[in-house]
Amino acid sequence: MLSQLTSQFPANDFTLLAAVLLLPLIGAFVCGIFGKRLGKEGVRLMALSAVFGSFIASVVTFIMVAAAPHTATKAARLSWKAWHWFDVTGRGRSVVPIDVSFSVDALSATMMLIVTGVGFLIHLYSTGYMAKDEGFYRFFAYLNLFIFSMLVLILGDNLLVLFVGWEGVGLCSYLLIGFWFDDEKKAAAGKKAFIANRIGDFGLLVAMAMLVYYAGTLSWDGLEAAQSAMAEQRTVWSASYLREFPDWLVWLRDLVTPEQPVRMMVATMVALALFIGCIGKSAQIPLFVWLPDAMAGPTPVSALIHAATMVTAGIYLVCRTSFIFALSPLAMAVVAGTGALTALFAASIAFAQTDLKKVLAYSTVSQLGFMFIGVGVGAFAAGFFHVITHAFFKGCLFLCAGSVIHAMHARVHDETASQDMRNMGGLRKYMPITHMTFLVSCLAIAGFPLTSGFWSKDELLFKAFTNTIVPLNPNIITPPLWYGQMIYAIGIVAAVGTAFYMFRAYFMTFHGDFRGWSIVAGFKPPAHDDHHDDDHADHDEPLEGPVPHESPRSMTVPLIILAFFAAIGGFVYAEPLHQVWPLEMFVSLEHFWSPVFATASKFVTTRPGSEAMMWPLLGVGAGVSLFGIGAAYWVYIVQKGEPAKAFVARAGGLHRLVLDKWRIDELYDATILGLIDAMGDIAAQCDRWIVDGIIAKLTSGVVKVTGHALRLLHTGRVQVYAASMVVGTAVIGWYVFTPHAEATIDARRVRPQGQVRFEAAAGHGYRYRWHIDGETVPDIFSGRRNFSMQLERCEQKTAVLTIKNAFDREAVTTYTQCRESKPGCCKPTDTPAPKKEALLGRVDGGVR
Amino acid sequence: MGAVPIHWFLLLAAALFSIGAVGFLLRRNLLVLLMSIELMLNAVNLTLVAFNRVHVANHDGQIMSFFIIAIAAAEAAVGLAIVLAFFRLRKSVRSDEAHVLRN
Repeated sequence: MLSQLTSQFPANDFTLLAAVLLLPLIGAFVCGIFGKRLGKEGVRLMALSAVFGSFIASVVTFIMVAAAPHTATKAARLSWKAWHWFDVTGRGRSVVPIDVSFSVDALSATMMLIVTGVGFLIHLYSTGYMAKDEGFYRFFAYLNLFIFSMLVLILGDNLLVLFVGWEGVGLCSYLLIGFWFDDEKKAAAGKKAFIANRIGDFGLLVAMAMLVYYAGTLSWDGLEAAQSAMAEQRTVWSASYLREFPDWLVWLRDLVTPEQPVRMMVATMVALALFIGCIGKSAQIPLFVWLPDAMAGPTPVSALIHAATMVTAGIYLVCRTSFIFALSPLAMAVVAGTGALTALFAASIAFAQTDLKKVLAYSTVSQLGFMFIGVGVGAFAAGFFHVITHAFFKGCLFLCAGSVIHAMHARVHDETASQDMRNMGGLRKYMPITHMTFLVSCLAIAGFPLTSGFWSKDELLFKAFTNTIVPLNPNIITPPLWYGQMIYAIGIVAAVGTAFYMFRAYFMTFHGDFRGWSIVAGFKPPAHDDHHDDDHADHDEPLEGPVPHESPRSMTVPLIILAFFAAIGGFVYAEPLHQVWPLEMFVSLEHFWSPVFATASKFVTTRPGSEAMMWPLLGVGAGVSLFGIGAAYWVYIVQKGEPAKAFVARAGGLHRLVLDKWRIDELYDATILGLIDAMGDIAAQCDRWIVDGIIAKLTSGVVKVTGHALRLLHTGRVQVYAASMVVGTAVIGWYVFTPHAEATIDARRVRPQGQVRFEAAAGHGYRYRWHIDGETVPDIFSGRRNFSMQLERCEQKTAVLTIKNAFDREAVTTYTQCRESKPGCCKPTDTPAPKKEALLGRVDGGVR
Repeated sequence: MGAVPIHWFLLLAAALFSIGAVGFLLRRNLLVLLMSIELMLNAVNLTLVAFNRVHVANHDGQIMSFFIIAIAAAEAAVGLAIVLAFFRLRKSVRSDEAHVLRN
C-alpha cells in the first residue's frame, strides 16, 4: 500500500499536495460563486467535504512523510513544483529564480494535520453556530479560502510562497472579523487587524529583500545551505554613508556619525526583520492590540483563525527559519524576551476582563508569548508543540465560549450582554457537555498535571531555564547567562496568572447561580467600577423567557473531540515520560521533528546539570498550576468573589487601568496615530493653500486673462469676421504669389575638405537654378534642390540660387563662403555674410 | 463663339466676385448680403465653366458648378429662413443688429 503510494507520488514530484491545496480552494470558489443558489444544505456539503477531503489527503501525506527515508540531520522533504514564477536579480546581477513550489516535511506535515483537522471540526461546528445567519454561504467561502491560504503558508517551499499564504490568511482574517460589516465597530476591528498586520509584513518584505541579496535564494533548502553568507558581518552604519550632506546640516551629521562603523551579522538583521512580521501576525508586543478587537468576528472564526492556526503562523515562521535565528543569539534573545513580556502583560489584562471572549483573546496573546519563549530559547520543538496543544485547548475553549454565547442568546439578543460573564453563572446545569469540555480545556491551559498543556508549557519553560545559544564566534553579541533564568521566572509568573484567570472565567461562567434571569433586550452593563459585583442580580425576581440550553450535536461533537485531544494530546510529546519508558512503537514528536531543527540545534546547548533539574522543574510547573487553580477556587467559590471586590475597592485606579487594557490603545492613539493625523492635517493644508490656492488659481487666472483679451476680437458682427477672412486670404495669396529663395547651408566639412552643401527650400511649383558667381550661368531651371561647392584653402566663393515659381516670377539669393584654414586669411568682403550663415543659416532672397 | 478668349470670362468673373465681396462687406441689409453671396458664388461658377471651355475633354468644372448651384439654392433657403426668423424677432433686417451672442 505505502510502496504503491510512494511510486505514485515520488518525493520530488509530490502532486498529492495539489489535492490538499486545491480542495479548499474549490470549496471556496463554489460556496462563494454559487452558494446563494445552492442553499444552506449544498454549502454545508461542499464546505465540509472540501476540508474533510483535504484532511484525508493530509493524513496520507503525514504517513508518507513519516515513512520517507531521513537521517538525524537531514529531514525528509516531499516537494512539488507547480510552475516557475519569475526571476529576480540578486547580488552581482545573479539570477534568483522564484518558483511556485510546495514541500512538506515533519514540521509542516504536523501543522497541516492541525489546520485541516481542527479546521474541519470548526467547520462542522460553524454549520450549527451560523445556521440562522443570512451570510451562511459567504462565511463558508471565506472559511474555505482561509484553509487554502493557511495551507499555502505552511506548504510553501520558499519565503515568497509563504508570504502569499501569509497575506491570504490576513485577508481572510480581515473579511471574517468584519463579517457582520454593517456594524461599524466590527468593520473597524477588521481594519485594525489588517493595518497592524501590514506593519509586520513590511518587516517580512525587508527580510525577503535581504535574503535575496545576501543568500541569493528564498527556498528553505537553499537558505539552510547558505549559512556562511548568513554569518557574514556587514557594515550597516558608518560615516561614509553621510558624505553628501549639505554644509548647513553638518552638525546633524556629526551628531549621528558613529566612531567606528557599526557592523551587524546578516543573520541578526534578517532574523529581526522576520520577527517583525511574526510580531504582527502573532500579536506580540507592541502590535498585539489587533487580536482582542478581532473577537468581533463570529466565534468559530476566533477559534480557528485567532487562536488555533493563523496567529501561530509567526511561531511556524521562526521554526521554519530556525537555522537563521539560531545563528544570532541576539535575535533569539529578542524573540524570547518579547515572548516573555507579552505572556506576562497579556495575562495581567486578562485578570480584569469581564467579556468571556476578551479573556480568551488575551489568554491567546499570552500563550503565543509562551510559544515565542520556547522558540526564542532554542526549544523549537517544544515551542511548536505548544502551538499544537494550544490549537486543541484554545480551539475548544473558544468553541465552548461560542456554545455559551449561543445559549445566552436564547435570553438576550444583545451582543455585549450575552458575552458578559457577569450575566452567566451556574451554566453547568443547563449545558453539561459544554461545561465538561470547558473544564478539561481549562485544566489543559492551566497546565494541570498530565494534560496536554502541562507537557508543552513545562517543556518550554524547562528549556528556557537550561538552554543557552552558543555563538558561532566570540565576536557575536550574546545575552548574559542569567537571561534564560529571568525568562523562566517571568514565564512562571505568567503561568500562575494563566491558571488563575482561566479558572476565574470558568467559575464565573459555570458555577454559582444563573445571573442571567434579569437580563432583557436593551440591558446595559453596569459601570466599570462595580463590575466584580458577582451576585448583584441574585435576589432579583426571574423574568419570563427561555432558559439557556445545550447546543445542537453539530456543535458538541467538535467540542468533545477537541477536549479529548486537549486532555491526552500531550503524551505524544511528553519528553519526561519518554525518558522513563522509552517505548519503541511510540515515537516522541520531538524525535520526529528533530531532523528539521538539526541545523539550528547545533547552536543550542544545555548548561551542565540540567538533566537533574528536569523533575524538580516539572514539580514546580505542576505546583504553579495547582496554586493558580486553587487561588481562583478560594477567591470565587469559597469567598464568593469577596477578595476581588476588596481589591477593587482598595486599588480602584490600578483596576481601572488594567480593565482598560493598560490604555495601550489610547497610547497609540495619542502618539503614532496622532502623528499620522497631524501629517494628514499638514497635507490637507498644503492641498488647500498650495495646490488649490496657488497652482489652481494661477492656471485659471492665465486662462481668464487670455480669454478677456481674445474676447475683444469677437465683435459679434458678421461683416467684421468676413473682413478678417478677406484680409487673411489676401495675405496667403500674396505669399503664394511671391517666390522665396531660401536654402540651408551645411558647412560642417568646409574646413577639413573644403566642401559646402546647399539645399534650397521647397515650394509649390518651384524650379531651381544654382551657379557659382562669376561662372557661366546655365539657362536651365530644374527640380534639383541640392548643390555643392568645392573650396581651396583660403578661397572664397559665392553660390547663387535663382528660383522661379508657378507664376514665372524669379527670386535670387547669394551665399558667400570662405575656407578659413589659417586665422585671418579670409578677407572681409563687400557683402559680408552674417556669422550665423557660416554654419546653418537662411537668407531670404529678394525679388529680382 | 470660340473666338472669345478666356481672359474676358475671367475678368468678368473677377469683377462680379469683387462686387459681391465689397457688397457683402459694406452693406448692412441682410437680404443684400444674401444677394452678394449669390453673386460671389456665381462668379466662381463662371470661372469654372470658363476653364472647362479650355479643357474640353475634362468635365470637372461643369460638375463642380452644378454642385455649387445646388448648394447655393440650399444656402439661399436656409439663409432666407434665418433672415425671416431674425425679422420676426427684431423687426429689422440690419446685420449690425444681429449681435445677441456677443452680449
